[in-house]
Amino acid sequence: MMGRDAQDTIIATRNLSRTYTIGKVQVQALKNVTLDIRRGEFAAIMGKSGSGKSTLLHQLGLLDTPTEGEIMIDGIEISGLSEAARTRFRLEKFGYVFQEYAILPELTALENVYLPAMALGLSQGECTRNGMDALEKVGLTERADHRPREMSGGEQQRVAIARALINKPKILFADEPTANLDSASSKQILELFRGLNRDLGQTILMVTHELEDADIVDQVIWLADGEVVGREG
Amino acid sequence: MTSTTTELKVSAFLAYKFIAKGNRGTSALTILIMALAFVNLMFTTSVFDGMGDATEKQVIDTLYSNIVIEPKDEEIYIENPDSVVKKIINVPGVIGTSAQYVTGATIAYEEQSGAWSIRAVDPADERTVSTVPDMMIEGEYLSRSDTREIIIGKEIAGGHGGSLEHTSLGGVVVGDTVEVAFTNGVRREYRVKGIFDTNFIQSNQLAYVTEKELESVLGIHDMASQILVKTDTKGEEDRFPNQFVELGVHEDIKPWIVYAGIVATLTQSFDALNALTGAIGFFVAGVTIFIVIYVSTVSKRRQMGILRAIGIKESIIVRSYIFQAVFYAVCGCIAGLVIMFAILVPYFIKHPMVFPMGNVTLLIEQKAAITRSAGLIISAAIAGFLPSWRAVRETILDAIWGD
Ligand SMILES: Nc1ncnc2c1ncn2[C@@H]1O[C@H](COP(=O)(O)OP(=O)(O)O)[C@@H](O)[C@H]1O
Ligand SMILES: [Mg+2]
Repeated sequence: MMGRDAQDTIIATRNLSRTYTIGKVQVQALKNVTLDIRRGEFAAIMGKSGSGKSTLLHQLGLLDTPTEGEIMIDGIEISGLSEAARTRFRLEKFGYVFQEYAILPELTALENVYLPAMALGLSQGECTRNGMDALEKVGLTERADHRPREMSGGEQQRVAIARALINKPKILFADEPTANLDSASSKQILELFRGLNRDLGQTILMVTHELEDADIVDQVIWLADGEVVGREG
Repeated sequence: MTSTTTELKVSAFLAYKFIAKGNRGTSALTILIMALAFVNLMFTTSVFDGMGDATEKQVIDTLYSNIVIEPKDEEIYIENPDSVVKKIINVPGVIGTSAQYVTGATIAYEEQSGAWSIRAVDPADERTVSTVPDMMIEGEYLSRSDTREIIIGKEIAGGHGGSLEHTSLGGVVVGDTVEVAFTNGVRREYRVKGIFDTNFIQSNQLAYVTEKELESVLGIHDMASQILVKTDTKGEEDRFPNQFVELGVHEDIKPWIVYAGIVATLTQSFDALNALTGAIGFFVAGVTIFIVIYVSTVSKRRQMGILRAIGIKESIIVRSYIFQAVFYAVCGCIAGLVIMFAILVPYFIKHPMVFPMGNVTLLIEQKAAITRSAGLIISAAIAGFLPSWRAVRETILDAIWGD
């Protein structure tokens, strides 16, 4: 195991806490989370349901704002960013895969995939080229012109992954990406992630509660009641 | 590419896809409702414009022609009207003149009587400025040499279903004799030679005798109370008075509009009504679009949250909804115009509405169509903005996972 020097670190948090307030009740979803993730690492966040996995992913993925603590991503202190800068940051540097496929039913697979590239200002030609490249990475080039309703759940999830890859993100976030899939499709998705990580050096941070997933990742961050209770790898 | 162009492009792309690949039924229904809203906005205006137009036409055709030359302030008559007519008859655009006397009189038939205005004309000249000679419903128009013969409007005659039946002579027919008492005390009996109906309540209250006849009643010659001048285009009357003055006409020269107080009054009350129906129409159209976009933002709430999560700016999303709303409004306006021109206008040409100013058909003024369309599109844009703007106010996490 190599030393974790600062150069290699893409995500680092210090004493990260997130407290939800519902009426007078306060739920501490994250407590003092300090961790780091290296560039090129495939990391999994694991723990029981309600342990704070999604909450952690949302803080790191800039979809939510922590109550306390610091997040450094790619050397940038996140708390200093405006809302517009955070949106831009997500578009340029992050890719997301959610539990549900979350692609637009009105768009074809290819259009869904290149939408974030279009928003970056790429030309139609570049959008199509990059979109086809991304679809190739997930093995769906022949489905490019299909609409989501003509595709299986596994295929739709792969379209979502291709969309997440289109802008060559520094980090790919995935929150239980296989939870709604049958075991064959789940396996395919995990192998896809493994391959993206191994072959392209893609940094991936994935929430999962499948214990067997632990075997294929570089690092597992174990959460319980909002606290990091263990790190493996 | 600048970021604004990029944003507009993405907004337009999303809007296009949502419309083209979304629910066709919803789109069609929305456009239909917008079209009906547009027709609703245009219809009252077109009726009012049609009424105004019909009134103007009636005032010109059956009352005052395009220009009226009147005696100067202190005088009762224009002396030697022929010399005035000679001065102007060759002005380009002048296509007819009719010098005439106008006098008040009481006309009586059996127990009925009433006060009306009588015009005394040269029938041949009158035909060049007025359509009344073509509007005879009984009998015939005057001839130059007629004496003791009178032409009366249907509101004087009565018995023809006029609006002023109660003040009419109660059903005079051609060949009946009426007694006319002039303001100078002269009373004469006249044979009713014809009855006319212009469809216009104002001109239907006139009576006509020949110039020759009235000169013998009044004991004067070569005078006129007014000279009506017909020009070849409507709306350009203002260019004539100066020319007439330069040619040596010293009398008062007024375009018809000065006499058409009734038109101005009508137009004013229409404008108020129009503003009211317009406001309601825009509101209805706005609310319709608002509901359509609102439902769409509710059903796409998660998707919009995801789009925001992956870095699509809120302004892009909001604008895509504004584009959709504007698209629906533009289609609605076009469909509405098609409905107006293809169905309603032809229908009312076939079945005109009967009003006191005559038969009214729809008049679609370009200005009205443009302002109504613009108003509709603006209300649609606002109605598209509000729900989508509200939708992107909530946090991304609430949008994706909230309930
Ligand atoms: N928006 C929220 N409001 C209130 N409580 C929340 C919210 N999101 C998560 N929580 C609570 O925070 C804790 C962690 O939730 P979550 O991160 O979703 O867990 P996991 O993803 O591990 O199942 C849970 O107790 C959950 O009820
Ligand atoms: Mg979760």
